[in-house]
Amino acid sequence: MRVGVPRALLFHHYGDCWISFLEALGVEAVLSEPTSGDTVNAGVLHADNETCLPVKVFSGHLMELKDEVDVILVPRVISQGYGTCSCPKFLGLPDMARSLAPGLPPVLSPAMDLGDRRFLWVRDWYKVGRTLGRGRFTSAAAVRSLLDSLRRHDAESGCESRDGGALSVGVAGHFYNVNDPHVSLRLVERLEGMGASALTIEQSSEREARRHAAALPRKVYWGFEQRLAGAVLHWSRTASVSGIIFLTSFACGPGSFIGALLEDELAREGSVPFMTITLDEHSAEAGLVTRLEAFTDMLRRVPRGSRTFAVPERGAGL
Amino acid sequence: MRVSTPRMGNLPLIVEDLACRFGIDYIEPPVFSEETVRIGASLAPEFACLPLKAVVGTFVQALEAGADTLLMGGGSGPCRFGYYAEIQRRILEKEGYRFKLIILDPPSTSLKAAYSGLRSIVPPDVARFGTLVRELRRALAKVVVFDEIEKWGLALKGREAEPGSVERAAEEACSVTAAAFTGKEIRRARREVQQLFENVGLDDDRQCLRIGVVGEIFVVLEPYFNFDIGNWLGKRGVVVERSVHIADTAYPGGRNPVFGYDERQVARAAAPYLTHEVGGDGLLSVGATAIFARRGFDAVIHFLPFTCMPEVIAKSVLARVSEEMGIPVLSLTIDEQTGRAGVETRLEALLDLARSKRRRETIPLEGRFSTSPTGDLSLRGGSQPP
Repeated sequence: MRVGVPRALLFHHYGDCWISFLEALGVEAVLSEPTSGDTVNAGVLHADNETCLPVKVFSGHLMELKDEVDVILVPRVISQGYGTCSCPKFLGLPDMARSLAPGLPPVLSPAMDLGDRRFLWVRDWYKVGRTLGRGRFTSAAAVRSLLDSLRRHDAESGCESRDGGALSVGVAGHFYNVNDPHVSLRLVERLEGMGASALTIEQSSEREARRHAAALPRKVYWGFEQRLAGAVLHWSRTASVSGIIFLTSFACGPGSFIGALLEDELAREGSVPFMTITLDEHSAEAGLVTRLEAFTDMLRRVPRGSRTFAVPERGAGL
Repeated sequence: MRVSTPRMGNLPLIVEDLACRFGIDYIEPPVFSEETVRIGASLAPEFACLPLKAVVGTFVQALEAGADTLLMGGGSGPCRFGYYAEIQRRILEKEGYRFKLIILDPPSTSLKAAYSGLRSIVPPDVARFGTLVRELRRALAKVVVFDEIEKWGLALKGREAEPGSVERAAEEACSVTAAAFTGKEIRRARREVQQLFENVGLDDDRQCLRIGVVGEIFVVLEPYFNFDIGNWLGKRGVVVERSVHIADTAYPGGRNPVFGYDERQVARAAAPYLTHEVGGDGLLSVGATAIFARRGFDAVIHFLPFTCMPEVIAKSVLARVSEEMGIPVLSLTIDEQTGRAGVETRLEALLDLARSKRRRETIPLEGRFSTSPTGDLSLRGGSQPP
């Protein structure tokens, strides 16, 4: 039995947990290759043309796995934390995967509702074990290993908070964009090549992020965006970065709102410079490099903490 | 306090009724125009969905017209609608407007937030708790009647013998309903409305196509953005049924009294294709398409605003529904740039497709159709006002 796992979307969050579950079940987990130009092209061809870039990339990974595996694992991540929900695209992802192309292998879609304190969703994973022909004991053990690796995952993430030296840039974006070198056009590497150190959301303190997000006048209800907004506000209020790059993808729903929210909040507070970079399947390196260079040059001019930014004048415009 | 709200379908009628009940100074928001959309698109974030931009435009115009309090719906996801109010507040404040924005959260988000939102426009000295509940129940019963007028109008427009008779009936029905306030008056108004529609002369020989309209509530309900799809199809002899109504959205317990299928039935119909709630009207679009297909409709039109998250899911799933259930589905993405001609061309192509499909399947379908031209569109049965 070969179970395919697309290396896309929330694999960048929970991939190791899923793999450890499959290993405990004793089935062979087949990961798709890292994203390449062909992956994106295949995704653009098969996915609905209005979905966001990461979903297209996901579709590309799925098409690559199509002929190699017996079943595909696409967990339905319902929430990533208590009191939050996921982007609708994650909620409908398995169903979207099923209608992607004819002749796809069966899609297994156990739910993953990390905000559920009763852990009712683990039943789905147990059933996956049984569907794959494993016994009760093995399935239960696999579920236990999934929960263990999730706990480790929680413990590891979000406790590191380092100061990145003189010129540090906060890169606020989804893991599946930032951590995928093909999609993000090696943005983090490029920043470091320009002499800046990049701080990602992973390296921000989860506790601080939660504190700042809770202080917003209206709660951000998407799990990851809540973390992102909190982390950006933390960076800006403690001036732990010189500038922030908000990396979003074309047609990203929550991104369009969170971008507007942060832009407004940071402008009101008059703190660090904020730049939005929108990725799509046509993004080219040259355009990105030019913007990064301009941004880092601007940050170099004025040392951190000494700048005063004019809040946009009220009543202007229209 | 001069209150204004967004505009969508017959929402202004409903708000006017509520304003009358609670003695609120209500400014009707201006009708949508190119100017509204231009203002909205220039202020709102680029990738925000069309309803947000349209409502920002409406709010700016309402504030210019003298409103000082804005009412907006809330929610807690996963659709972006729940965060509209916050983004709109920030946009308008940045533009220098002074106003108060009241967010009406649905009770499902938080009972407390819903009640306090309500109480900030209807303070206890205007209406005690009992009065508030009673008036809201009556208002809801009235919303159902308003939506039924729309529903019956769409069902009969394509079959009217004399052009314009349905429109006249609907106008009269609306004014009859608008004048009803107590439960008894509303029940009587509903009977009168039903009579008005039953008196409309129908052309029974006409071969009507039956088309379902599904999609995101704002673009489906607002004639400015769907290019008045109901009338456009009606003029071409099409019987139309819609899946979304304001009353169904507002009704507690997911009963959908106007659409006629409750949430569980919709979810069951959608289950082979979409097994989880995706926010907004995504699940309803898929479920309603499956229901329409099962009932032998000729085609389904799916409206969605550009980048609408739930409907994009629905759109990619609908491709499979269409294939497996053999019903043509046309997804129309609407944004501030969408032109009338492009939409009409595609609708005409859909009508041609539906007609030729009907002709190919002449023997079974024509027989069924001529024996029961009304199908399940009859005015009897249906919902009862609470």
